[in-house]
Amino acid sequence: MDELEEIKITFFQECDELLGDLESGLLSIDAGDTEPELVNAVFRAVHSVKGGAGAFGLEALVRFAHVFETLLDNIRGGKTALRPDLVKLLLRAADVLADHVAAAKLGGEGDAASTTAMVEELETWISGGPAPSPPALPADLQPNEDGIVFKPVTLTLPEVDEGPREEVWTITFQPMDELYAKANEAGLLIREIERLGKIDVELLDDALPIFDNLDPETAHFAWKVRLRTDVPEEKIREVFEFVEGHCSTTIVREASPPVLVEADAGPDIAAIIAAAQAANMEAEPAFTPLKVDVAAVESQPPVALAPAAPVAQVAQPTSPRSPQPPQGEKVNQATIRVDPERIDKLIDLVGELVINQAMLAQRVAGHGFAASSDVGRGLDELEQLTRDIQDSVMAIRAQPVKSVFQRMPRLVREIAGQTGKQVRLVTDGENTEVDKTVIERISEPITHMLRNAIDHGLETPEERVAAGKPTEGTVRLAALHRGGRIVIEVGDDGKGINRPRVRQIAIDRGLIAADAQLTDEEVDNLIFLPGFSTASTVSDISGRGVGMDVVRKSVQGLGGRISISSRPGFGSTFTLSLPLTLAVLDGMVIDVAGQTLVVPLTAIVESLRPAAAEVKKLGAQGGVLAVRDAYVPLVDIGRVLGFQTTEIDPAEGVVLLVDSEVGGRAALVADSIHGQRQVVIKSLESNYQQVPGIAAATILGDGRVALILDVDALVAMRKREPLRMPEPSIQAAE
Amino acid sequence: MASTLCLDPVLDLKAAQPLKAALTEHRGASVQLDASNVERLGGLCLQVLVAARRAWSEEGHDLTIEPRSAAFSAAAALFAAEDHLGLKVDKDGAVP
Repeated sequence: MDELEEIKITFFQECDELLGDLESGLLSIDAGDTEPELVNAVFRAVHSVKGGAGAFGLEALVRFAHVFETLLDNIRGGKTALRPDLVKLLLRAADVLADHVAAAKLGGEGDAASTTAMVEELETWISGGPAPSPPALPADLQPNEDGIVFKPVTLTLPEVDEGPREEVWTITFQPMDELYAKANEAGLLIREIERLGKIDVELLDDALPIFDNLDPETAHFAWKVRLRTDVPEEKIREVFEFVEGHCSTTIVREASPPVLVEADAGPDIAAIIAAAQAANMEAEPAFTPLKVDVAAVESQPPVALAPAAPVAQVAQPTSPRSPQPPQGEKVNQATIRVDPERIDKLIDLVGELVINQAMLAQRVAGHGFAASSDVGRGLDELEQLTRDIQDSVMAIRAQPVKSVFQRMPRLVREIAGQTGKQVRLVTDGENTEVDKTVIERISEPITHMLRNAIDHGLETPEERVAAGKPTEGTVRLAALHRGGRIVIEVGDDGKGINRPRVRQIAIDRGLIAADAQLTDEEVDNLIFLPGFSTASTVSDISGRGVGMDVVRKSVQGLGGRISISSRPGFGSTFTLSLPLTLAVLDGMVIDVAGQTLVVPLTAIVESLRPAAAEVKKLGAQGGVLAVRDAYVPLVDIGRVLGFQTTEIDPAEGVVLLVDSEVGGRAALVADSIHGQRQVVIKSLESNYQQVPGIAAATILGDGRVALILDVDALVAMRKREPLRMPEPSIQAAE
Repeated sequence: MASTLCLDPVLDLKAAQPLKAALTEHRGASVQLDASNVERLGGLCLQVLVAARRAWSEEGHDLTIEPRSAAFSAAAALFAAEDHLGLKVDKDGAVP
């Protein structure tokens, strides 16, 4: 791939992270967090997007980010006060910025109309805001960090104008090789400086070697730019933030008249600080006498408490080449970016290693080596090591679900806007980690569930008031680890499922018989049936054509399951349970009607050989098993999957007690158990097709293919036997 | 008559080595650089062009940049390198 393209891809990846930071920062501010660092973090995010975009010549993006950044700069500088309506505007501006980034990714530009409208709104605030902002509290009346309140003193200083004053700066910068290597350009820096005011550029070519000695990839040129501007020095420094460490820079104010403080006029801390600041901490001679004055101050009662230390701190000269890192800046974590293909290849290889190790173990066992022999112990160690490697490799792919959750606030805002509902999104467990493949594929089901929750679940503000609820509805999005799986919940505090209506629709569409006896849970789960379109019933947003059956299918494609629970008047919760990884699982290898199958270990509670007396027949084919004073439905795997028509006598075979999300506990009946094994998951969908009751396939140590059971689906299939469910059968390939 | 070398549209880091190599092939005689297709001129290629112009000049040959795209002229102006590239002379009507 083209080197520049690669850097561009990295830039867009960084953009996604920055936009996430931007949104979460703004949401925290919106939620009432007044930490000043938040505004700084939000500003930096926009500033960084702008800087990167400039390097790739994404002009439309840069232009918009520039306006957005200017307003944020005003806010952090205290020029514009943060108000709730302004925060809402900033959130919408973040959306427009995200649109620009998304468009730039595809090589286009963001929507011109929405950009223009947003720029106008932002500029209104930049130029003072739609309504006067409440004045900020004067800083000089606040106690400083030492708890000392400075007494305000009126100073009459010459040449102190109202508002910013135009000044001339000389900026000299010399790009280093790394600047160009990182796809930055000296020209972009000059252009950025040009945005700040009027410039006069001089090329410094003294260091350029003769043509024959010139290494074309070594930087020699430097530039001297005279800038006439009214912006403060920090704005000029920001131009060079992106090339920090890759460009040596000096910024000097020209003809800066030092503010003279006459020693005779009486020492005054405010004047001293003002003078020190005005002298830009550079004028050493101007500063020295001030130090003397500070000593003199100590004898004066009103300011006797003023310690010398803070003044000395103020007087610390700031090196032009090493600007202070912004307060509270994130600690730089050492990370590397790796092509996902490399990791996938590593995972494949580890998968093969697992299979190979299993084969080796089987062969060794075949030769009669005891587990306690040297070979047996060595194999144990190899197995442990293989497992450790596998866990470590899987950990590389694990990512927090935050990246998916971060996209949701915008979605919620948009749907709330479309439906006229007031919605508050609460997220929980954002740092729950899950395999990258799962992350990539859960966004769509979550999106649909959220849309469903707001559109179908929540009531309008009027309805909520009538129901005695707050006008603002709450939608909760949470992620957590439970039983070796990741569980994602989308809940709302709305009206709950309208069960009579759902039941009627199911009857109308021929999905259930008119006299079918269904529990509340079964009625709720009808919405997942294919053909149960909600478009004309509960909502209009579902007119987008995606039914819950599609969501369920995509979740099943991930080896996951989805269920819903609802309380009329109190809301509904969708629960999505997914495997942490799509690559390996611990399973119990069993035999059913001559087929070798694998049952995921996470589903198994225990295995047992029931006595004949514990098995109770119900009707012609059904039955239950008595387990410690409770009856558990028997599920004959071979019959449900169509491997055989006659049932295995549970008393003759083995029973696996499993927990399923759809039907509680169930007893799976098999012929025999081979043992516990870690298996590498091979997708059945991508290699064959989806088969009800089967989650995936694997290759065993002896090279045979074994099917991995989808326990929930299997239990549900048995439960739904009276309903019309297709039951295609499949035989494992030998 | 000066030979002509057509400059690549993108004169960035990656183009710097090839540009020097291409110029070296024309060493010892006047050369005219066709910059009409240039869309982007970076600092490193600018160095190569300025060093080349000096070398040609010292050896008594011409190195002219003509015709030029608007992007090339704008970049040269932004870099304050018009004199170094002999562009201002060209504007006054000097023989390319």
